[in-house]
Amino acid sequence: MLQNLLTDGLVIGSVYALVSVGMTVILGVLGQINFAHGEYYMAGAFAAWWAIDRLGLSYIESIPLAILIVAVLSLVIGYVVMQRLVDVSFDAGIIATLGISLLLQNGATLLFGGTYQVFDGGWLAPMRVLGEDIAQQRILIVLVTLAVFGALEWLVRKSSFGKQMRAVAQNVECCHVLGLDVRRVVLITFILGTTLAALSGVMTAPITMNIYGAMGEAITLKSFAVIVMGGMGSIGGTLLAGWVLGIMESLVAAYVGLQFRDAVAFTLLVLVLMWRPSGFFNTKARY
Amino acid sequence: MPRFTVAGQHFAGQLASGALIIACLALFPLVASSYQLSTLIISMVFLLPALGLNLILGYAGMLSLAQMGFFGVGGYTSALLAMHFGTPFWLNFSAACLVPALLAIPLAIPALRLRHTSFVMCTIAFVFILESVSKNWVGLTRGDMGLSSVPRPRIGLWSGGFIVHTTVQYYYLGLLLCVLAVAALVTIVRSPAGRYMIAIREDEVLAASIGGRTWHYRLAAFVLSAAFAGAGGSYYVHYVTVISPSVFDPTYTNTVLVVVLGGGVGTIMGPILGGVVFIALSEVLRIAPELRMVVYGLILTTSVFLFPKGIVEPLTAVLRGAIPSRARGSHGR
Amino acid sequence: MVVEPRTALSLRGVRKAFGPIVAVAGVDLDIVAGEICGLIGPNGSGKSTLFDCCTGLLRPTAGRVLAGATDITGWEMARIARQERLLRSFQKAVVFRALTAEDNLVLAGQMTAFPGLAATFGCGQNTRRRVRELRDRAGVLLERVGLAHMRHAKAGEMSFGQQKLLQFASMLMPEPRTILLDEPFAGINPVLIERIVENIRAVNREQGVTFVIVEHNIDVLRDLSHRLVVLSRGSILADGDPDAVIRDPLVVEAYLAG
Repeated sequence: MLQNLLTDGLVIGSVYALVSVGMTVILGVLGQINFAHGEYYMAGAFAAWWAIDRLGLSYIESIPLAILIVAVLSLVIGYVVMQRLVDVSFDAGIIATLGISLLLQNGATLLFGGTYQVFDGGWLAPMRVLGEDIAQQRILIVLVTLAVFGALEWLVRKSSFGKQMRAVAQNVECCHVLGLDVRRVVLITFILGTTLAALSGVMTAPITMNIYGAMGEAITLKSFAVIVMGGMGSIGGTLLAGWVLGIMESLVAAYVGLQFRDAVAFTLLVLVLMWRPSGFFNTKARY
Repeated sequence: MPRFTVAGQHFAGQLASGALIIACLALFPLVASSYQLSTLIISMVFLLPALGLNLILGYAGMLSLAQMGFFGVGGYTSALLAMHFGTPFWLNFSAACLVPALLAIPLAIPALRLRHTSFVMCTIAFVFILESVSKNWVGLTRGDMGLSSVPRPRIGLWSGGFIVHTTVQYYYLGLLLCVLAVAALVTIVRSPAGRYMIAIREDEVLAASIGGRTWHYRLAAFVLSAAFAGAGGSYYVHYVTVISPSVFDPTYTNTVLVVVLGGGVGTIMGPILGGVVFIALSEVLRIAPELRMVVYGLILTTSVFLFPKGIVEPLTAVLRGAIPSRARGSHGR
Repeated sequence: MVVEPRTALSLRGVRKAFGPIVAVAGVDLDIVAGEICGLIGPNGSGKSTLFDCCTGLLRPTAGRVLAGATDITGWEMARIARQERLLRSFQKAVVFRALTAEDNLVLAGQMTAFPGLAATFGCGQNTRRRVRELRDRAGVLLERVGLAHMRHAKAGEMSFGQQKLLQFASMLMPEPRTILLDEPFAGINPVLIERIVENIRAVNREQGVTFVIVEHNIDVLRDLSHRLVVLSRGSILADGDPDAVIRDPLVVEAYLAG
């Protein structure tokens, strides 16, 4: 029972971490909270559903296609809106991304209808791991998350683009002076962050089975809790915070009551903030 | 005495234009349809928490997204009092301001240690925690079912009195509450405390270096903003006569944000205009129900780049152009 | 007439370390009430950190800070300013840009003019009278620093030099005992430097306000201050008459090395 809950929590936590890490890199580089982040998660799931249901592709083919679709979508939004948010105040950024959130959420409803759609795909056959039956899809989620986080750590720490990201995160004016193309860095980071959310959406849809236009909203809000607990900008911290949240949720749902599940994220957030205002895994004091 | 003329004249001019606006709004029911009035009532429902957000964000510089949480607490307080004790509106309303304000004090203890993004997130968290409480404290709130057939506002000292029930009556009640709330906001903003809140917004360390108790003023801003939100909740719950945990839905928080930021934060007229324009807009868009929220989203995002300081700026510019000499002369420069 | 010298600010073994880096390495210093004391030293010698420790922005790792006879170690910056009238300026944060020049001064005065918090929210007779008095005082001070014509201008629209003058004026609002100035002459033109210097002298002479001034412009400081203290690597290298200190070979060497 307990082991079951822990694996469940780990899987859900990986989903949260994968979405949140995209938000955290966007926040770090752009300095804006992306209120539409969960909408890219939703877009990823819908794009894959469309590929399977309407184009008759297999699940494995639908994954790259869905990511490509979301990448193109975020290229357009990034080019038209997000790039300009570099010079805009924090509050204005919230309004702008809220607008995008409404646009995408209701756009999906407009295109695919307001009802739930059933996502038919993925590998749901159970597999025996440590004496327990777990759906293959769940194991895949955890493995993909680990791989993505490993790659991100490398990207941010070692690659030259990572250096540019860190430079923009620290001081935009200096980057302008040094001739670094800030807008390009922002655009690429934004596409990276949103495609991670989309990947998470595609990977999760076979488990949740139902997809709908407003499914991203709850994910956006939970990502807020995860990125703050993770210390805002720390990649490893985001993964740990995601796992902690996922496991706590699954324990609370089982032992306290299902109706308390959605309050876990924010109760945990407030407790962590009371204890350490800069998040658990961050030693830097950074507002 | 040159020192008063400039500031004094400016304020007198603002008072005069305020009186003119109130007079126009008071006469509006003579020409308006009941549909138009009910749209304005919704604007006024959102204006009350928006004024609180304007105080805490526009003056003290803290983006609190807890407004609709306090709005819900105020609404529940007002509804429960009226349902269980049959108390008159003034008492329900006062309690609806007071209870969220008191609740804001313990919540401020973790929240005020935080700045910027962490503060925003912490205030979002409060709304979800309150939502969860309202869903699970079934004995008090009836959980997800919510409270229905909340009594309509009874205007009377204790028992008896007059019961507000037509749209026009609700409109005048809302107008009265909004005028009082705006007057309260103007008083706070123009007081020494208001000046100090602006100082905190501009530079907290510098504000502390001149000897101010920054924490106390930030607390005051948080508590007062909660009281404004609670006031909105009270008016709302007696208007729609139902309340359920869906009042804590993020959509409502987003609406308040749009009213304040889209209208013009840190100005008195901004949220008022924002309330009228953006809520009327969302009503007008009902002619194309499927496209409504898509277009609304587009307009929001575009308005950030077209009017980065809110729609109050271009509108006042237009008004200045229309009333050339005196309005500008009294500005002092 | 000989008056017993009184200390305005005393540092007793003040030390501040950030992890392994020692910024201030045990400083003992007595600032005599009524003097103008210059504080110089190469970049990174710990001048600003010392200021931060004196005014409560940082808490010293060890040692005590006294204002007069009161031990203010560990007090918050706002309390030190309010109760001990020990004020400081910052290098970068100068004035509140969104407020007018007059409001900047009223703001600086209101924290000591209003003892309670509640009174500041009011619009009653007493509150209005106090604010009126502060506005009058602000007018006089603006006149004094030569900014009367900018009274109703937003501080953010003023030149940097004018902002520094305004900052100086705002520090005089709460009737200070001691003022610590962090590079008051950096980045402003010689005419305005002269105006600030004159005002420092006048305030010091007429009201007996003690000044401690961190500054890189040694020429100005040599003329202005009664005493010059040199800080190097977190400790005091020299202390005494400005002319003598500047000729001190140790000081010259520290500057060349730094």
